Amino acid sequence: MIRIGILSFAHHHGEAYIANLRRMEGVELIGVADDDPMRGQTIAAQNQAQYFHTYDDLLAAKPDGVIICTENNRHRPLVEMAAARGIHILCEKPIATTLEEARAIVDACEKAGVLLMTAFPMRFSAPLLEIKARLDHGDFGELYCFNATNQGELPTKHRAWFVDPELAGGGAIMDHTVHLVDVMRWFTGSEVKTMYARSNRIFHADEVKVETGALEMLTFENDTFATIDASWSRPQYWPTWGGLTFEMVTQRGAILVDAFRQNLNVYRHEWQRSQWAYWGSDMNHAMLNDFAAAIRENRPPRVTGLDGLRAVEAALAAYESDRTGQTVQVKRT
Amino acid sequence: MNVGIVGVGFMGTTHASSWADTPATIIGFAAETAAEAGALAKHHAANVYPSLEEMLPDVDVVDICSPTHLHYEMALKAAAAGKHIVCEKPLARTTRQAQEILSACRKAGVQLLVGHVVRFFPEYALARAAVAEGQIGKPGVIRLQRGSYRPKKPVGNWFLDEVKSGGILMDLMIHDYDYARWVAGEVESVSARRVTEVHLDAPVDYGLVILSHRSGALSHIAGSWAYPPPTFRTHLEIAGDHGLIEFDSDDTAPIQNLIRKTAGSDTPDVGLPSSPVSESPYTTQIKEFYGALTEGKTARVSATDGLAAVQIAEAALESAHTGQPVKLQPLAEAR
Repeated sequence: MIRIGILSFAHHHGEAYIANLRRMEGVELIGVADDDPMRGQTIAAQNQAQYFHTYDDLLAAKPDGVIICTENNRHRPLVEMAAARGIHILCEKPIATTLEEARAIVDACEKAGVLLMTAFPMRFSAPLLEIKARLDHGDFGELYCFNATNQGELPTKHRAWFVDPELAGGGAIMDHTVHLVDVMRWFTGSEVKTMYARSNRIFHADEVKVETGALEMLTFENDTFATIDASWSRPQYWPTWGGLTFEMVTQRGAILVDAFRQNLNVYRHEWQRSQWAYWGSDMNHAMLNDFAAAIRENRPPRVTGLDGLRAVEAALAAYESDRTGQTVQVKRT
Repeated sequence: MNVGIVGVGFMGTTHASSWADTPATIIGFAAETAAEAGALAKHHAANVYPSLEEMLPDVDVVDICSPTHLHYEMALKAAAAGKHIVCEKPLARTTRQAQEILSACRKAGVQLLVGHVVRFFPEYALARAAVAEGQIGKPGVIRLQRGSYRPKKPVGNWFLDEVKSGGILMDLMIHDYDYARWVAGEVESVSARRVTEVHLDAPVDYGLVILSHRSGALSHIAGSWAYPPPTFRTHLEIAGDHGLIEFDSDDTAPIQNLIRKTAGSDTPDVGLPSSPVSESPYTTQIKEFYGALTEGKTARVSATDGLAAVQIAEAALESAHTGQPVKLQPLAEAR
């Protein structure tokens, strides 16, 4: 039995993970801890999970692994505490908001010999896995470029801190660059070389201080190039939260991928609009399964802390480019 | 009003049909070889001229539908002869050439109307009107996409000749640079990449461009010559601070063609949006140009718009080459 604990519900994904863990065989949720006791106790009670008063208490109960769902800039202390006790870690994305912290997180886990996985669920998306397999098999010929979007609504309906420059490390760029950078690194097997980004704050200009619109142009070491639309440009009444799409252009043509487009269109009198009901495979479930399996089999997870670090490097390069107005070289630590 | 058309390819043929729907008279066609022009001239009961020069004395308006690299020289000749000009997009191959054309037309006191036909497609016109009315507030991020296969030509495929056409970043994507500018205003900087810059021998091409507008809005323009014939798709999305407009040609097509192909069927010369509307957008455009030429009405696309679009396209070519964004110099003509 693999014993898992959840540290913090600052990130709303933590709640979804409880349900995922409960449905997994050979996995036990030992409990949850939160430095916001009200939030932690409420979620624990709603899910009949044990509540630990401090992170230390939970770690002392010797879980095999923990899932860290704090604000983006508060991952490091918990990573270091868990790593020091030899506990494996699944960390929400982005793993940190600065290069120094991201590097420290990766190093701490390496030094302690614990597994570090970054919560990049797209690596477990069934449509993406299908495309990646075909790409590797050579069905599409050489890969040339991506035209990608990871657009969303303003995420404040989940948590207010998502638009806090300090806690989140930025706005739409920090929130949405990392997923697609990771997908592209995975597909190309290559590292991001240069980044150009432009941002604005036209959507929700009066509500937030961070950028809400962003377009990025990146190149990879192997000459693949891409654009990413990281904007929080979906209205709150969009039929779903947003999405992740990309057009992948190859020697033989193009593949259009709309990762979340496995949905019913549901129309209800109560809503007076349509909403999507997703019926595709649950990628979070597959991601947590891989975390548990990696612990059980003592092997690296399919997406690592280093992948998380590389994605943060690209996001930070986007901010640098937006400041300077130039295409910048991505700094690798 | 007598119109002479230079070029009898896809655009010359299309423009001729549109002129036929106006009170103007198509006097004739000039083409590289008279043989090419014969059938079209016969269809429109018009003459065939061996050259633009020989056609000029007979016309009031020259409609330039020749390959892009020839626009400059032909437009200067038409202006020097005091003839009004309708010119297919791109107005010219370079910004400097376009500027000279504007200057020559101004000096000659002739009108210069540039065929940015996307402004006349009803879906694009409606979306722009909605934005102009303030329906979705201030545009923040605009996404425009246009995709097809590599243009085919029986002989002399100038589309694929970088020097003549400017390739995908100019020939195809200039439609959407112009549209983005129409919706969100002047462009300050351009960043671009394209497949054939990296893979010289690629069998397909694809361009990606980011425009920064003076207003703060950002535009993402994608152009594809990578799809299998006869694909032609367009997509537009304008996200504003009070709403969003979206259009996808695949999602909104009222007719789906599932008729099986017969053996040996071929695809058309150039991918063309099949838009079953009562009037072709090309005809709407030519009619509006006719109104501008005969009644002094203002057309929705100006000579300056044609120049500005070339400037953006040229910047995109430069950026794709250097990897750095290109800042646009404000055009004196735009003042």
